[in-house]
Amino acid sequence: MNENEILRIENLTKKYFNKTALEDVNMSVEKGKIYGLLGPNGSGKTTLMKVIAQLHKQSSGHVFINGNPLSYESKASISYMPTENFLYDSFKVKHAVKFYADMYKDFREDYAMNILEEIKVDPEFRIAKLSSGLNGKLKVALALSRNADLYMLDEPLNGVDVLSRDTIMELISKSYDETKTFIISTHLVSEIEKILDSVIFLKDGRVELFGDAEELRLSKGTSVEGLYKEVYKNV
Amino acid sequence: MFKLLKYEFIRKYKLITMTLISALVLNLYLLTRGIAGSSSFLLLFPLVLAVLYVSDVIRTYSDDLNKKSGYMLFMTPNSGYKIIMSKLAAAVIEGIGMLFIYFLFILINGAFIIYQTRSYVDINEVMNDINTLLSGNIGINLGHVFVFLFAVLVFAIGFIVTVYTAMTIRKSIFSEIKFGGFLSFIIFLGLNWALTYASGEFYSIVSPQYGSFVNVTTVSASELLVIMFPVIAVSIIQSIILTFCSGYLLEKKINL
Repeated sequence: MNENEILRIENLTKKYFNKTALEDVNMSVEKGKIYGLLGPNGSGKTTLMKVIAQLHKQSSGHVFINGNPLSYESKASISYMPTENFLYDSFKVKHAVKFYADMYKDFREDYAMNILEEIKVDPEFRIAKLSSGLNGKLKVALALSRNADLYMLDEPLNGVDVLSRDTIMELISKSYDETKTFIISTHLVSEIEKILDSVIFLKDGRVELFGDAEELRLSKGTSVEGLYKEVYKNV
Repeated sequence: MFKLLKYEFIRKYKLITMTLISALVLNLYLLTRGIAGSSSFLLLFPLVLAVLYVSDVIRTYSDDLNKKSGYMLFMTPNSGYKIIMSKLAAAVIEGIGMLFIYFLFILINGAFIIYQTRSYVDINEVMNDINTLLSGNIGINLGHVFVFLFAVLVFAIGFIVTVYTAMTIRKSIFSEIKFGGFLSFIIFLGLNWALTYASGEFYSIVSPQYGSFVNVTTVSASELLVIMFPVIAVSIIQSIILTFCSGYLLEKKINL
């Protein structure tokens, strides 16, 4: 195992009914980098994240976090933000913060409250009544308020307005340091391209392209967005 | 575990509060109808409470497995065993809480009935009077009621664990199979049949040891507990085995 490796995936396959969502995925993710998990809807991005977060069980293959096979204990090292509205509707924002503080030892409550103030999410708001933009910002704020090894943000820019997208991008940039690894899935490549160190292109559940963003830009003579259009032009 | 339990109740507290307020209002209304109203409440309230209780504990787990809000729970670094144990502990505490509330209503209504018949209430006599009232016509006392309600709670938990296990199997082993909901129901029926068969075999072995009590005309509360012991013990053992199975599946095979 590479000392700098935080996540290793070997021959990972995930099937639903008669559909194969992921097929023979192999990859190694290094510490201290921001990875873009890119692909159109249905390419397997969400499934891959859910398998790593252990909300889904793989049909075959192996996933290792910090060299150890996935277990409930590895959830303590992973801060996962699902794309869906998963927070309890009946909770107020402050209850969700408290829930995270109670459940995750690495959660920084004061940090979270500061972010909420910064992004103008009132802790007294009921989650059921939040707009999609505020809900998106809240989910990101909760995930980033943990001091985890690996952050997985599934479509953090989905369903939020342009201003909120800027806020979310700013939050991610501010949270990053070389001890943390980010995997951010999106199909809004242009919005996120500037912060990516590496890219993973998924197509029909398979890794189509994986590499350093800058090297790919130089070798292919185009931006990551350009590459995205090239890879998925027939999808 | 305590933290998981805490959030189980934070999620439930509104429903529980609303149920209690509705029950209180209904009881106050029925008290205005005299002894008949009060008695009707005491007969009907436990039935309504039992239905609400079972549906609430099943709905909570079903939501965790089938709705996206379940991610909030299953993303936390807690083992499957801990999660299912906390669900059951919450169900047990909720069940005991409801029994306690029912007894409070018995006391309130008992005091009211006594006041209606005697025009005064001696708090020291209330428990004895209720006991006398209960033993008056059908030959049971408060002790019998406690034993009976304890057995009901144990069976309710056994039923809930069976349902939980069926739902867990559906979301783990059979999650990638079509018609999973229907399959889950079949699994539940199958589990119930298997458990009934196994416990039937067990009773046939132990019943000679307990048969002597059956012919006794008047059975004390402690004797009733002894008679019911095998049934209660089997139900508890079943619950433990099924809880372990559910915990394993949540830990190793879950597909939310």
